[in-house]
Amino acid sequence: MTRYASPKLASYAGLSAVGLLTALVFARPELVALTAPFLLALAAGLALATPPRLEVSVELDEERALEGDEVRTTVVLAASSPVDRLDLYLRLPQGVELAEGRNPVALRLAAGERRELEFTLLAARWGGHVLGPAYVRARDPLGFLVWERAAPTRPELRTYPREDVLRRILQPRETQVFSGNEVSRHKGEGIEFADIRLWAAGDPLKRVNWRASARRGELWVNESHPERNTDVILFVDSFAEARRGGTSTLDLAIRATSTLADAYVRRRDRVGLISFGGILRWLVPGMGVVQLYRVVDALLDTQVVLSYYWKEIDIIPRRTLPPNALVIALSPLLDPRSVGALLDLRARGYDLAVIDVSPVPFTARPAGGLDAVAYDIWTLRRDALRHRLQRAGVAVVEWRDDEPLQAILEEVRAFRRYARHARV
Amino acid sequence: MLALAVLAGADAYSVASAGRLAPVSAVGSVVGLALLAGGIALRWPTTIPWAVLASGGGYLAGREGRALVDGWAAVVGVALLLASELATWSIEHDARIRTEPALLARRIATLAGLAGVAMLVNFLLLGTAAVSASAGVLLAAVGVAAAVGAVAVVLRLARSSS
Repeated sequence: MTRYASPKLASYAGLSAVGLLTALVFARPELVALTAPFLLALAAGLALATPPRLEVSVELDEERALEGDEVRTTVVLAASSPVDRLDLYLRLPQGVELAEGRNPVALRLAAGERRELEFTLLAARWGGHVLGPAYVRARDPLGFLVWERAAPTRPELRTYPREDVLRRILQPRETQVFSGNEVSRHKGEGIEFADIRLWAAGDPLKRVNWRASARRGELWVNESHPERNTDVILFVDSFAEARRGGTSTLDLAIRATSTLADAYVRRRDRVGLISFGGILRWLVPGMGVVQLYRVVDALLDTQVVLSYYWKEIDIIPRRTLPPNALVIALSPLLDPRSVGALLDLRARGYDLAVIDVSPVPFTARPAGGLDAVAYDIWTLRRDALRHRLQRAGVAVVEWRDDEPLQAILEEVRAFRRYARHARV
Repeated sequence: MLALAVLAGADAYSVASAGRLAPVSAVGSVVGLALLAGGIALRWPTTIPWAVLASGGGYLAGREGRALVDGWAAVVGVALLLASELATWSIEHDARIRTEPALLARRIATLAGLAGVAMLVNFLLLGTAAVSASAGVLLAAVGVAAAVGAVAVVLRLARSSS
């Protein structure tokens, strides 16, 4: 423990010395009487001051929680020597709030006493939150000496974003080779009827369409669409964010990405992740619940890191972007690097949909003057940028904070349906 | 507020009992009170010893020209200590920190005990000084130091045995 003397120690020592010397100089016993209490306090305080022997640890009941969940935390104090005055402060990171209990707290511990202080914490925001350190400050009974230390244990609370319920999600244009829930546009072994064709050697008897065969006088067989899985790449733009209060565009994007990952994994699709920003992170597409946890864990570490390095889509490993994958990008379209990367993806033929997590609600329009004009130009430029992406064949929808994700996905679906018809 | 009230009481006695240097005593008292009030308001603990010094100086100025030993000096000394302790408490106090009632009670008891022992030591000291005035202030000061040292040793032994 770090020990230091409080200002009171020096002042009482000084007062005692000055008082006794003045008493000698002026030969007044009353001055000794004025000084004696300070000298007594000093002597008693130093005599009673013993270095505290204290163990501090922080324990979490649960290490994983959802946004909005409450988690119980216990700070355990075990004193092997008496601690007359102890201040305890558990530092809480941003995104974790105190729901119940008092922090900081001042208490007293007897020798051999063990105390467990319980706090209820609210996991307010997604992320990997490291709790603590828990700082303790002990004083002697009269407050002349102070000892301070920080608890070595710092548990991590991983708060997963709360997910929306989606009834329908975006269907990729192309499917992959593994079985899944998406009806492929190709013909093969499946349930969904596609067409009939002339029988060929090797066709099983059960696929013969007897009614068509009887009508045409030769054997015809049914063809069907197989159910296949798809590859979905979730692209999170973490170059920049717009923030107001406790919410930001990145928060919305992370929650939406988590929701989409859950929905696609349930359909047995392969889901991959690209966090494109100051720090580039990626996750090769995979299936199953384990992959879902990998995606969400990777999302928790996503943050906006300032970087001037110009990144292009080439730096993403090839395996992360498989051919025929649907890329769903969640971006506030604030940084030209991410816009460039999205256009590059589209130019390479990827099936791309962009959810523009709009920063506009996070900024108030100035009352008037040049600032208001600049604001209007900025919003017009954003419209122009969306239009540019749409002209490149990218489904772009602006998502504002108050709109449900399902409605945004329906807009994207509508755009993709329209774009497909236009192409035909 | 309590610290200021205690110091004001000690200062009032100093001024009331002052002799021909009563104005100097009053000035010392006012300066002491102002320093203590300023220190508490600005949360500046370094003003506390200066406030005690100013008030003590005012008391000393008030005793100028009086040969008799003042028995109330014992109370004034304890009042100065109490004012200093209460002012330190006030400055240290942080409303965000919840203090357990047991700790609060123990702190009050410690302060009361300290004041009681200091009062006892002072009365013994002044009584001795009044009886054997010829022994001189040097002997009195040595006596105080010895008494305080004895108390410290006893407390230290009691602490290590607990």
